[in-house]
Amino acid sequence: MKKTQKTEILPGTVGEGLAQRGVTRREFLQYCTSLAALLALPPAMASVMAEAISKARRQSVIWLSFQECTGCTESITRSHSPTLENLIFDMISLDYHHTLQAASGEAAEHARLQSMKDNEGKYLLIVDGSIPMGNPGYSVIAGISNHDMLVETAKGAAAIVAVGTCATYGGIPMADPNPTGAVSVSDIVKDKPIINVPGCPPIPVVMTGVLAHFLTFGGIPELDALGRPKSFYGETIHDRCYRRPFYDQGKFAETFDDEAARNGWCLFKLGCKGPVTHNACATTKWNDGTSFPIESGHGCIGCSEPKFWDAGPFYKALSMPVSATTAMLGASVAAGAAAGVAITWHNRSTKAAAKASHETVTVQDLAREEK
Amino acid sequence: MSVNLAKGINAFKEVIDAPIASFFSSCVHCGLCAEACLFYTETGDPQYTPIHKLEPLRRVWKQEYTLLGKLGKMLGLSKPVTDAELEEWKPLVYNSCTMCSRCAMACPVGNDMTYMIRKMREGMAASGHAPADLIGASTRSVEIGSPMGIRLPAVKAQMKHVQADTGIEIPLDVAGAEYLVLMSSMEIINFPEYLAAVAKIMKQAGKTWTLCSEAFEATNSGIQIGVSDIAKILVQRIVDGAEKLKVKTVISPECGHAYTALRWEGPNLVGRPYTFDVLHILEVLDGFRSAGLLKTTGFEDALLTFHDPCQLVRRGGVLEQPRNLLKMVAKNFVDTTDHGQMNWCCGGGGGVSAIEEAEPLRLQAFKKKKSQLEETGAKTLVTACANCRIVLEEGLEHYHMNIPVVGLTEMIADHLTEGE
Repeated sequence: MKKTQKTEILPGTVGEGLAQRGVTRREFLQYCTSLAALLALPPAMASVMAEAISKARRQSVIWLSFQECTGCTESITRSHSPTLENLIFDMISLDYHHTLQAASGEAAEHARLQSMKDNEGKYLLIVDGSIPMGNPGYSVIAGISNHDMLVETAKGAAAIVAVGTCATYGGIPMADPNPTGAVSVSDIVKDKPIINVPGCPPIPVVMTGVLAHFLTFGGIPELDALGRPKSFYGETIHDRCYRRPFYDQGKFAETFDDEAARNGWCLFKLGCKGPVTHNACATTKWNDGTSFPIESGHGCIGCSEPKFWDAGPFYKALSMPVSATTAMLGASVAAGAAAGVAITWHNRSTKAAAKASHETVTVQDLAREEK
Repeated sequence: MSVNLAKGINAFKEVIDAPIASFFSSCVHCGLCAEACLFYTETGDPQYTPIHKLEPLRRVWKQEYTLLGKLGKMLGLSKPVTDAELEEWKPLVYNSCTMCSRCAMACPVGNDMTYMIRKMREGMAASGHAPADLIGASTRSVEIGSPMGIRLPAVKAQMKHVQADTGIEIPLDVAGAEYLVLMSSMEIINFPEYLAAVAKIMKQAGKTWTLCSEAFEATNSGIQIGVSDIAKILVQRIVDGAEKLKVKTVISPECGHAYTALRWEGPNLVGRPYTFDVLHILEVLDGFRSAGLLKTTGFEDALLTFHDPCQLVRRGGVLEQPRNLLKMVAKNFVDTTDHGQMNWCCGGGGGVSAIEEAEPLRLQAFKKKKSQLEETGAKTLVTACANCRIVLEEGLEHYHMNIPVVGLTEMIADHLTEGE
């Protein structure tokens, strides 16, 4: 099983593309090691990944953009060429992408249809943006409504990756009062595996990491209840935040310009949503590992969680309960108290009965038992 | 009218109160109490883990006083407490627990195992699972007046001897005296020095005191066996005697459990506050000392150490007094490693010394005390409990250790300044 020496380079594979670009195997292995670490895989998996990726045929990918701001695309292209994130881009054959493709008009649509035909059942569909259900005319591409294009393209896809909070959970288009009747990909497509990569936008390395996982293992990674890969969304920002020690000590900034804020204390009271937000910002960080929002002095706004836009003001502390919680709390307290009273009453009557049936114990009684 | 299982279970239900419920529900099963118990440390047998000794009581609590337990009992899922089981637990609840309370000091959640053992013994006695020796002691206490079967004439005889030895008249039934002095049977039979010592000290302090012909015995077998009805009769005798003679203070002798029984349990047993104070003899002596009424000359030569009686330090708060007093007569004093509140029990408290079948186990447990003593290299052992004293003497003799055991009161009396 040990193949430590040069892997043979097959024509038309990722490996060939890399070799042509002058990327050494050593560099590639380093990349795979860091990728394995990011995906929380054992270190031994790095070489397996390298093997799988370099031998893989370039994966056909169709990227559809619906009601979105192109921020997700902006994010994924910020993979700092010539750093290794770019490699992922070379592993795929991006057959259709509004912003990045050279073709336009009929030719562009033809590329999509051709790829769907050639790679039936194998291509990967990436979607960013939500789908308007109010009126099909709200968002149309080449005369086709977003809904129809999604249904048509999803049919032959091996799997779907919904990137960005709009595609995963509706995002800002769906925010109250949701004028376009926006819905997420998973609201429409029910019969295909969907990987949700939320975030507004998602972290570049998270998007590329999910693609790499798909290429390596040919399947979808382990997902949480909201369809997110656990390796990136398994923990909260709060649990991994470098300001967490201040939270534990009860040291909070009260305003953005006070002494505490300058000292870098916890931003919880300023509305940081870190405790309820699952994402990898605090560990992978942004802009080639430079920093993440909290490090820049602003609380997390919770962009990788469903309905983050409508989940209360960004600057209101999380601990302030909303009314539904209060009512539920009140009811639970009342129910608990009632149960407590009932049990206490029953226990008291048990004890009273025991007292009432006490017969005085005399030494004669004790002696009688003596055999 | 005889005792039976139903009565025992009823007694368990009766004694379970808020403290016991909270103790059982807060036990985290850490096992720290085992390491604090000399019966466990000296045998290594996990059945001597203090909280385990309470298992039948815990099950009754669970079945009768918790929601899940009640449901389980209703559905027949729980194991009822049986006679056979209680008989099996008898040696754990009596022979291997001196109610020394060291485990309660070690418990991280503050469970008072002694409190629970005391209450559990109510159910053990009411179901007929009390040791025969303790039944005998209780019977003698109620019917004769003393657990060792001592009657008033024996006390009078001792008074006569002491009078002859000291030349001090021993007052009996003197109404209006300030102090009523009680004794334990052990002191009447084995340690007559105690009465002589008290007589000398009272004379020097210029205090009025008396013995009482109806209430000379301080020990309370009812507490040891765990029958409150009997304990109440015994406490009532002392209350009646003290109130008849209108004394201000009743002095508990050098006896641990007599003190806690009279001072802490007594008013609850008789159902009202006393009209008098209850003090341990060491508290009285330390009071005399600070008031300048206790004058001594000379010091003991031998290296001394002190055995803190469990009931005094852990359940009575008499901690500083013996050391204050020892300073008056001892220059050469050394404390054991675990002294004061964490002192190790002699192994014979809580009625254990009266149970004959418990003797081998008691002597095995004494190894703890033995090693403690050997560590100090002390030549004389001082204590303030007649029961500790006899148990210590027996243990030392068994292990061929030549260390005399002395009561603190008599040691003080030996150094009283003569004359005036």
